Amino acid sequence: MKRKEYLWAYLFVSAPIVGFLLFAFIPLSYSVYVSFTEYSGYQPPVFNGTDNYAKLMNDELFWKTMYNTFYAALGIPIGMAVALGIATALNQKIRGIGLFRTLFFLPTISSVIALTLLWKWIFNDSYGLLNYLLEFVGIQGPAWLSSERWAMPAMIIQGVWATLGINMILYLAALQGVPKSLHESAEIDGANRFQRFFRITVPCISPTTLYILITSTIAALQDFPRFQIMTEGGPNYSTTTIVYYLFQNAFRYMSMGYASAIAWMLGLLILVITLLNFWLSRRWVHYE
Amino acid sequence: MSRKNGKLGKSLLSLTSVVVLTGGLIGCGGNDKAPSASGEASSPSGSSNSGETVNIQFAGWGDPSEKEVFTKLIKGFEEKNPTIKVKYMHIPADYAGKMNTILAGGDAPDVFYVPDGDFGRWVSQGLLLPIDDYVSASSIDTADMWDSGLVRYRYDGASNGQGKLYALPKDIGPTVLYYNKDIFNAMNVPFPSADTPMTFEQLLDTAKKLTVEENGKVKQYGMGPIWWEGFVLGNGGKFLSDNKQEFLGNGKEAADALQFAADLSNVHKVVPNAAALKDMNDGQMFKTGKLAMMITGRWMVPEFRKLSFDWDVAPLPVNQWAGWSGSVGLGIYSKTKQADAAYKLVEYLGGPEGQKEQALMGFSIPSFKSMANTDVFLQPGQKPEHASVFIKAVESEVPGPWTNLPNAKWFDLLTQGLAPMWEGKKTAVDVLNELKPKIDQAIKEGNPAVFK
Repeated sequence: MKRKEYLWAYLFVSAPIVGFLLFAFIPLSYSVYVSFTEYSGYQPPVFNGTDNYAKLMNDELFWKTMYNTFYAALGIPIGMAVALGIATALNQKIRGIGLFRTLFFLPTISSVIALTLLWKWIFNDSYGLLNYLLEFVGIQGPAWLSSERWAMPAMIIQGVWATLGINMILYLAALQGVPKSLHESAEIDGANRFQRFFRITVPCISPTTLYILITSTIAALQDFPRFQIMTEGGPNYSTTTIVYYLFQNAFRYMSMGYASAIAWMLGLLILVITLLNFWLSRRWVHYE
Repeated sequence: MSRKNGKLGKSLLSLTSVVVLTGGLIGCGGNDKAPSASGEASSPSGSSNSGETVNIQFAGWGDPSEKEVFTKLIKGFEEKNPTIKVKYMHIPADYAGKMNTILAGGDAPDVFYVPDGDFGRWVSQGLLLPIDDYVSASSIDTADMWDSGLVRYRYDGASNGQGKLYALPKDIGPTVLYYNKDIFNAMNVPFPSADTPMTFEQLLDTAKKLTVEENGKVKQYGMGPIWWEGFVLGNGGKFLSDNKQEFLGNGKEAADALQFAADLSNVHKVVPNAAALKDMNDGQMFKTGKLAMMITGRWMVPEFRKLSFDWDVAPLPVNQWAGWSGSVGLGIYSKTKQADAAYKLVEYLGGPEGQKEQALMGFSIPSFKSMANTDVFLQPGQKPEHASVFIKAVESEVPGPWTNLPNAKWFDLLTQGLAPMWEGKKTAVDVLNELKPKIDQAIKEGNPAVFK
């Protein structure tokens, strides 16, 4: 009887393990191998040692896309600050608050493709909404997406907007977990609104901040579909991210080996940054 | 058509295809033996004679109306060939991305659309079956077909343009000038000639007359965003040397043409300043009367026929009859088990029956010269009045430069690198001279077969 139970237990446990081996571990290991080969994806790979990695180090475009990806990541702190601001505003007891919360969350559940196409229109230099609004305050808006200087800022604006909903909801939940008693006693002690926000609220929600920071960082490093649709990586590669470059090498230039090498460089980078985030977090995240 | 779909094509599946591909690779290892063994069985005396039913699969994209036409065509094909059953796999979005994944998986449809931009890559990887023998043994009269349609589906082991034939054109789409006749009439500007292309000077002059400014803002543009490849070709410029080993786009003719194209928006302000987003919404702008002229292909005709204003077509305004045409081919998977049946389908769709149905829809030009010159294509009484412009264009226009080499990195470097010129920060000559060494290197690295 007992043996039989063990058998069942192992059987159930094996499902995710087999799944992991089949759909994650084996493909991952294979891509390590592929990164040391010349491989078109259609024909068998040919081993070429560390050629791909050596080529990466001297690839001007690779470094440019690396830079672009970090530039795009500037949107993370901006997005978090805006999300926290809105979450604080939506944490009030006013009529119709549910409607506002829904409105801010709406972008999160809409199709990325549809939203991206929408933003292409917003950024249109001649007929777009953004430049139309800027005109009211006397500013002649740039050709957002076709200007080397403005394409990335435009993508950051769009990115901040797109991630607002989910970050806002996370912050809202965290804010509601902040003990009222702390605020009340601080108020009695004479702390003003700002002091209470920065000394009580911000530390109390810091685990959520860490969570958003880490997940957004990983997402930002892997960001790419919206770049492909809105700018096609241009102009002049100013919005080509690492993953976009990886995609182009894999599916446009048929260099799967080179693309795999890029993927592993990216994976390594994400690992380092995430560990760094965790390590630094000990200084500023407060767990109860 | 190929161009638009290609771009849209690559956009959607993106990450998913990376994941799926990695999964597909494992599956491919096990399946490898079966298809390669059957590949040998595809000799012209294959299995379809036995009277047994043969099942083949056919993949293509297209909007609902194209899907409808092809569903109808396939039905007609099955009636004529009762022993062949065709399964139509319609891929509405991200065609190239999905096909890449399917092809890497090793079990692709027997017949599928081959965008001319992807042709070089697919054929250089041995994914397509050479069809010369089939074509010469069949009823297809290649002498009656547009040469530029066929030539882009030839490959000699290094670059395309010569060698064996690997696909028949499903369609061919030369670029022409569309113009809004109502705007021309209202502003008293004579219509462009249907026989003689405008020179660059005439184009600038006409576009200036049609541009309307209000309070320092352009309200109506004379001309839509420039598809600059045609300008280079029309000015006698070249992209690559004849042996495809060297980039020649920094030559005087090409540089002058590009400078002229950039000046149209930066200096003369007769073209919207969105060169990098050229196909974003010029169709919309034309439809709403904000563009007096624009460049595009035959595929816009069904949509433009619904417009309330009058319009017509004229040759591409590039000094002479020249420019580029897009195309989609019908190719056969190299590992197909049913090559005979597959070719029968290609012959039907690329042959007179298929070409006629497509042309009747209004969106394409038949591959056959004799058919193009009949009412099937000219469609008197329907817009555009000068449909013959398309015929003359298809005769003089060549495959776009993106079709020239299997590895497209050189062309991406060019299109991306032109940005400072479109923004007016650098001259065309400077930009192109700076790009030349990089592009030459990309040609060499990506296409070693060309240098053998």
